[in-house]
Amino acid sequence: MAAPSRLPLLQVCSTRVFLLRCTQGFHSEPTVREPAYPPVIPSRTAKSKSAKKRREDDYHSQIRAASSVQDKLRLLTKLQREKYVVYPQTFTLNADRWYQHFTKTVFLPGLPEKFSVGRQVVDNENGKVPPAAGGVDPAVVDENTFSELRSLVGNGILQENFYLKKRRPFLQKEQEHVVAPFLSNLVSSVTNALAKYNPLLKKSSLDFNPEVSFYWVRGERTVTRGHRRGRVDPIRFQINDQPHCQIRVPEQLEEFLPLQESVSAEVPVVHFEPNRLPMFQRQYDNNIFIGSKVTDPCSYGHTQFHLVHDRFKRDRLIKGNLADQIEVRLRANAIASLFAWTGAQAMYQGFWSHEDLTRPFVSQAVVTDGQYFSFFCYQLNTLALTVQTDQNNPRKNICWGTENMRLYEEVKDGEVVGLNDDVLKLLVHFLLNKPQKM
Amino acid sequence: MSKVLLNGVRSNEPMLLSVQIGNAARSAFLNYSHSRRCDVGGRRFFSVTCSLFGRGPPSRKEKKTVEIPGLDRVTYADRMHFVPGLAKPIFPDWQRDWHDPHHYRGPNNEEMKLYKENPCYVFNQRTKILEGVRQALWLTKSKLIQGLPEHILALAEDPANQIEDQDERVQQAIRHSRFWDTTAIRPKRDRFCPVLFRDLLHLCGTLQVKHTSLSKRILAENYRVAALWNRESDVFQVRGLNGMLLNSMTPLPAVAQSGEVLATENHTLETFYPISPTIDLQCTYVYDQKNDTGFREGYPYPHTHTLFFTETEDSAAKFKPEQLRAKMIMFAFGNALARAKSLYGEHPQVLEHPVVVQSVATDGRLFQFIVLQLNTTDLGPDTGVKNLVWMDQDQLLYDYAKCRPLIKKKVVTVPAGLSGYQPETFKKFLALHLHGAV
Repeated sequence: MAAPSRLPLLQVCSTRVFLLRCTQGFHSEPTVREPAYPPVIPSRTAKSKSAKKRREDDYHSQIRAASSVQDKLRLLTKLQREKYVVYPQTFTLNADRWYQHFTKTVFLPGLPEKFSVGRQVVDNENGKVPPAAGGVDPAVVDENTFSELRSLVGNGILQENFYLKKRRPFLQKEQEHVVAPFLSNLVSSVTNALAKYNPLLKKSSLDFNPEVSFYWVRGERTVTRGHRRGRVDPIRFQINDQPHCQIRVPEQLEEFLPLQESVSAEVPVVHFEPNRLPMFQRQYDNNIFIGSKVTDPCSYGHTQFHLVHDRFKRDRLIKGNLADQIEVRLRANAIASLFAWTGAQAMYQGFWSHEDLTRPFVSQAVVTDGQYFSFFCYQLNTLALTVQTDQNNPRKNICWGTENMRLYEEVKDGEVVGLNDDVLKLLVHFLLNKPQKM
Repeated sequence: MSKVLLNGVRSNEPMLLSVQIGNAARSAFLNYSHSRRCDVGGRRFFSVTCSLFGRGPPSRKEKKTVEIPGLDRVTYADRMHFVPGLAKPIFPDWQRDWHDPHHYRGPNNEEMKLYKENPCYVFNQRTKILEGVRQALWLTKSKLIQGLPEHILALAEDPANQIEDQDERVQQAIRHSRFWDTTAIRPKRDRFCPVLFRDLLHLCGTLQVKHTSLSKRILAENYRVAALWNRESDVFQVRGLNGMLLNSMTPLPAVAQSGEVLATENHTLETFYPISPTIDLQCTYVYDQKNDTGFREGYPYPHTHTLFFTETEDSAAKFKPEQLRAKMIMFAFGNALARAKSLYGEHPQVLEHPVVVQSVATDGRLFQFIVLQLNTTDLGPDTGVKNLVWMDQDQLLYDYAKCRPLIKKKVVTVPAGLSGYQPETFKKFLALHLHGAV
């Protein structure tokens, strides 16, 4: 402006004409001007930490923007890398503490209040109790039904152990030969008998030998050797589990504890790398699977039944001074299997580590070797287990579990000696679990 | 079967076909070479020192030693070397003075404890008989009636006996078994067949809410049946593992009344000369004559209800529909006969209360239904009262269950997913399940 006139700039700026022109536009609306240049963000392809962060953020926003659950799962699992394979039925020592660390689970002995053994399951006073429809206590079963269940269970035990003429089982196949048919019969007969008290069981789906798998990331490690030395890598885990049978339902079970409630117990922290457990890495398909694909309407879990390994022999563990490892192995089995199942259920609903759960996911499990039964409940409160998402995450997953209880003492001359009613009552209580509104 | 390992073969001739012979060729060879010495394709070696299958060293033709009574044979045994003109000495067979399990030749048939002069023709779970249903009817002295009995089918037509949303739930079961049960695109037949069967049984079990007598049943897997009978001077047996058995506390009511039963006396059994009725049955001279239901005395569920057959992983046990129906008839008959003999004794007689056994077989899509009524255990002569078999064959449960649509010339001929569902087949399944309990 000063250029056409020969006056110096500062003198022009102080002239009245100039000042008027400058102040003239203040009473009108400011014109919105589009940024002339794109925002300044780090590069995508550079070899820098900010570029890596940008790539990760782009990946996360791509997952968030995925149109369907199948797409989300595909994006989360498409890249194959070496990962630790977690076996729920493991023989490693003190595996339950390690598994609790990997899954951020707190273990509470006993069962949640809903299943406390004092609560009455069988109604002894009244002869007939109307089934659940509008009843006061929905978890009460008729005395007749309970005695019928007792005889069903007794007959199941006797059929496999006494009446059915069997050959000697092949080596290390005793569970499959003797216990597996008994457990199948037990689950299907008790579920059918209790269907009139729990309408959820009528709509359920009973799978035999399903595959349950889960893939997650927890913790980080610095690569020590190799061409990637010095880089920080997340630690990946995969569980591929095959329970004996499981019940899947179309509606979600109710939570045992509210989501925000904090539990006093602590998650054990293990400072060693997972390969010290020992646990080994492999690279193969990353699967997230509850037992059937996403399109199945029964996408929530109810109860899983696990058979222990053939190599899990109590007398051998006691003889080798490892009596406490009996409980450890059962707990490890329950924690790993139930975490995988509930985690997969949550991912089927679209939650993942960066979009954490808005409601807890709950499932139950029974681990047995035919004679000893243990009952476990699991509540998944958080999937945010990566280092980035875990920084301000106070939530913990909770697992409740009982010690193992004997269902019967022995089978003698066509009679089951010492059939334990408490175990049956717990089993009935487990299977009667249903959402409040049903 | 595992791959054949070439460890070191005694013969100097090249191993022509030992490695390349696949299962199909080997089984084809074994089926068609009835003569013992057939060196064309190879034979199995039971020795531990060489490979498993091959042509082996050429068998040397032994010169017959001529025994003239009264004359001693002059041999070169004393000379300790071959002398031309003298006879070859016959030395006694050398026996190892200790028992070596790797070099043990079992006793000949004639020396076995259970050797009998008359052969027995055994039907086991892998037998595929040439004439199929006709041969099975002759062997079991039965009359065939096409179609299931009316009063059984009427059980499923009654709306009180139907499951809620029956068609929808059966279709969900089919989709679960055919599409959703695996992390791969589609499960294999030996996976989806038993899964579909278990799902359908679970659906039928939910009817226990309405009909409590359905609880008086139990499934038995891996049981072995044994039944023995004579037919026109030949001895027949049905033996071994067969399928899954549903046992019940109460017997099935007789399907055909006594009038119809007596009318079968006029029916003549169909023969198929020149084929012998014992074709394809395993002929054995060493057998135990026993009739065994597979369960001990005092079993709480003594009455057979239904026998289920599903496709298994065993490639040798894949059946064509005709042979599968024959197997169903034979094993249903075997179970019925074993039970009749345990109830009424070994003496051949016409039964006052006929024994009824049902059988269902499936390959995941086609269903075969059979109801067998055992009227008589007097099976020796061809005349007299016959047993009755009602058969409903090749019932499709659905037309197509495709993961990818079938497109011919750019037109979708069969869409992806389940198509062509036929509700009648499940109604028959349900009717057979409810028979005896309603």
